[in-house]
Amino acid sequence: MAVSPLVPHASSVAASSSNAGNKFENDSGTNSPNKTKRSSSPQRMKNPDREITEQLNDDVRHKYIKDKKLGEGTYAVVFLGHLRTDPSSFVAIKKIKVNAEYKDGLSMDAIREVKYLQELSHPNIIALHDVFSSKDQNLNLVLEYLPRGDLEMLIRDSNIHYGAADVKAWMGMLARGVWFCHENYILHRDIKPNNLLVAADGEVKLADFGLARSFADPYLNMTHQVITRWYRPPELLFGARQYSGAVDVWSMGMVFAELLLRVPFVAGNSDLDQISKICEAFGTPTEENWPGVTRLPNYIPADPNHIVPLQGRDFFLRQFPTAGPVGADLLMSMCTLDPRKRGTACQILQHGWWLAEPKPTKKQDLPRKVGGTKKMGDDLTRRGGELDDTSFKNAARQLDFGAARD
Amino acid sequence: MIEDEIYRSSSQFRLWSFTEASLKQLRATTNSVASDRVRAALRRAQDARRSATSSTTGTPAPGSDAENKAAEDKQIECLTPEEEQQVVDYYSEQIIQLGENYKPPLPTIVRATAIQYLRRFYLTNSPMTYHPKQIMPCALFLATKTDNYYLSLRQFAEGVPGQTSADDIIAPEFLVMQSLRFTFDVRHPFRGLEGGIMELRAISQGQGQPAPHFQPSQTPEDLRRALLSLSPSSATASTMNDRISRAHHSTREILKAAAQITDAYFLYTPAQIWLSAFLLADRPLAEFYLDTKLGGPIISSSNHDQNPLYALRTKLLTTLANCSALLQAYKPFASDEARMKTLKRIVGKKLYHCQNPEKANIAGQKRIPAAAAAAAAAAAGESGTSESEMERLAKKRKLERGSETTKDLFGGELVTQRTKERQMEGDQQQ
Repeated sequence: MAVSPLVPHASSVAASSSNAGNKFENDSGTNSPNKTKRSSSPQRMKNPDREITEQLNDDVRHKYIKDKKLGEGTYAVVFLGHLRTDPSSFVAIKKIKVNAEYKDGLSMDAIREVKYLQELSHPNIIALHDVFSSKDQNLNLVLEYLPRGDLEMLIRDSNIHYGAADVKAWMGMLARGVWFCHENYILHRDIKPNNLLVAADGEVKLADFGLARSFADPYLNMTHQVITRWYRPPELLFGARQYSGAVDVWSMGMVFAELLLRVPFVAGNSDLDQISKICEAFGTPTEENWPGVTRLPNYIPADPNHIVPLQGRDFFLRQFPTAGPVGADLLMSMCTLDPRKRGTACQILQHGWWLAEPKPTKKQDLPRKVGGTKKMGDDLTRRGGELDDTSFKNAARQLDFGAARD
Repeated sequence: MIEDEIYRSSSQFRLWSFTEASLKQLRATTNSVASDRVRAALRRAQDARRSATSSTTGTPAPGSDAENKAAEDKQIECLTPEEEQQVVDYYSEQIIQLGENYKPPLPTIVRATAIQYLRRFYLTNSPMTYHPKQIMPCALFLATKTDNYYLSLRQFAEGVPGQTSADDIIAPEFLVMQSLRFTFDVRHPFRGLEGGIMELRAISQGQGQPAPHFQPSQTPEDLRRALLSLSPSSATASTMNDRISRAHHSTREILKAAAQITDAYFLYTPAQIWLSAFLLADRPLAEFYLDTKLGGPIISSSNHDQNPLYALRTKLLTTLANCSALLQAYKPFASDEARMKTLKRIVGKKLYHCQNPEKANIAGQKRIPAAAAAAAAAAAGESGTSESEMERLAKKRKLERGSETTKDLFGGELVTQRTKERQMEGDQQQ
């Protein structure tokens, strides 16, 4: 990673989005300890009625200008914005709504999102350039502007044709982003196509860290009620309270399958239904194929008359011909029932599929769609873990296997 | 990518790591700015009182006149940066105490995060501006949220002694978050300690993994034998296991208190902190652990320059020695009578007189400063506050002052603090 000690992520990330590069440089000291000192020196006291931290906040706030509204949800409003010094350098400003119902200060979603994005600086993770407060103590997150919508939009649009090389490019970017989170001991816990946003240059970015948390503290329990149902791994459906990066890897596998099929692969309409659909698709979890599974808190004993054997490579190859034999093998390792046997993000990145033909499409050549700005607005205002049910109302949606195969 | 790179990208390194000199300078600046403003605010308060008394034709309120006179005559004495440090240290310890009030007690990690929030807060704020008594419960509540230990504010408030209401606790939340510059992640030394202990246990059972740069010449069995032959003589795997458990426990105790209430987090990395604490807990064991990574002392002087581990080892041991010294020098207030006496003088007398009266009511100010700032910014742009805005703020100050009596500036005392004071009084009588 290209982050040097005292340069904040704003500059390093801006460098990756084509034209904003040097515009951020002037402000690049904002997050460094040096700046704290400079700003707090008496000669910089512009306004005697402001505390040092308030002034720092004002400085940040004044860097940006809010333009039009891109989207509004129950939890946040997203605006298009730009740097005061450069009207062509766009940002998305996510204003967290103060919830009148919630009396306990800033909500957990907002806290999680800010906490983890402040730590993660990577080309495949949405960049948090700045945070500031506006009047009435609203929290504003200045996020990277990702104008090309999300993967869900591309999957669902039958006018968009894409093939294995494109899927490989998108999956590669997703896997690198997830690997980086895990390397920093952070679980995303809500990976799904509409949280994978597309930048102007085609780069895929993992967004929405409202359900993220750190992991790898021995013996510490965590909640199992995370990850949108269709992307939720079996161990969470069975109520596991101690889990690892394997939960995100399962979600990645589901995204992979969905990119190939252009419909969600296992789309249960309740948690129970989700479990049975997973068993149906991949095999029934048993003590043999997953030691310890029967001791999970919400484990449901399988019907002894209906045990689906664990699916092998043949199944994946039959079901996902586009992936090819090596791709099918990778998908199988992501969809392994036993989380201990599932591939880790690091193993996924070392898989042979990335080197096999076809080569991943260059990001500037990836299929694109216009009108993604509004989609970004919608994506950033949604609360974590919510299913966008309306998306799949028309079950008889046309599938585009032909395009996916070329 | 190596772990060092990851750490350097963390907010803890980018924003909250200092050299001793830069830390001292930052605190000095914060102190001098706050002192100037306290003096200015107290002068304004005196002026306002004087004009208030002169404008009311009746007799001045009994007593207040004399008080004013005395205050005017005496130069306002502000806290020094060192005194501010004492106050912050004391309230850092209070966070540990406060965590005990809950059933079950708040996890160590939540308390540790809260203490670091408090210490980070007071790098750019002075206790003269915001009394730590008000900030401390808020920092702890914020830490329960950021560290995934969910309690409702109401439940949390029940554990806070005294008349502190839920509203009092949450009022400074935004101020605290702003002062933390919206970085909530604190990298603690605890996880590293757990990992090191696991490694040592594996070694004692002959299942240790030699460091990659010592493979294949070193075997798990070599490691096990070396561990069991550590001084003072130890024999079996089971006695070694006990020894590791004891070292684990003492290290944790150091990390829970000394590492929190000193500047360790500002000056050292989490790995340096736990290794330094481990050295204090069981030096031979800690040195053995370091040797598994660094290959032990290099005796032959000829190849010092060629061996990168030599330079690394020398540098690391110096850093660890400094950090150990810092941790070892820590003495809790409860066991340090002289320090407690000094603190009582600082908080009880001096801080009382140099508390910024315009910042006392955080709850009351909650929404006003931001709104005022926005108005001021809109009206005045870069050039500062407009005159009408200044007048408005002055009026506001007057109004606020009218509604509050100086006695209530501090609000109720926390029970924990009172118990402490009672203990102290007892000590003094002896």
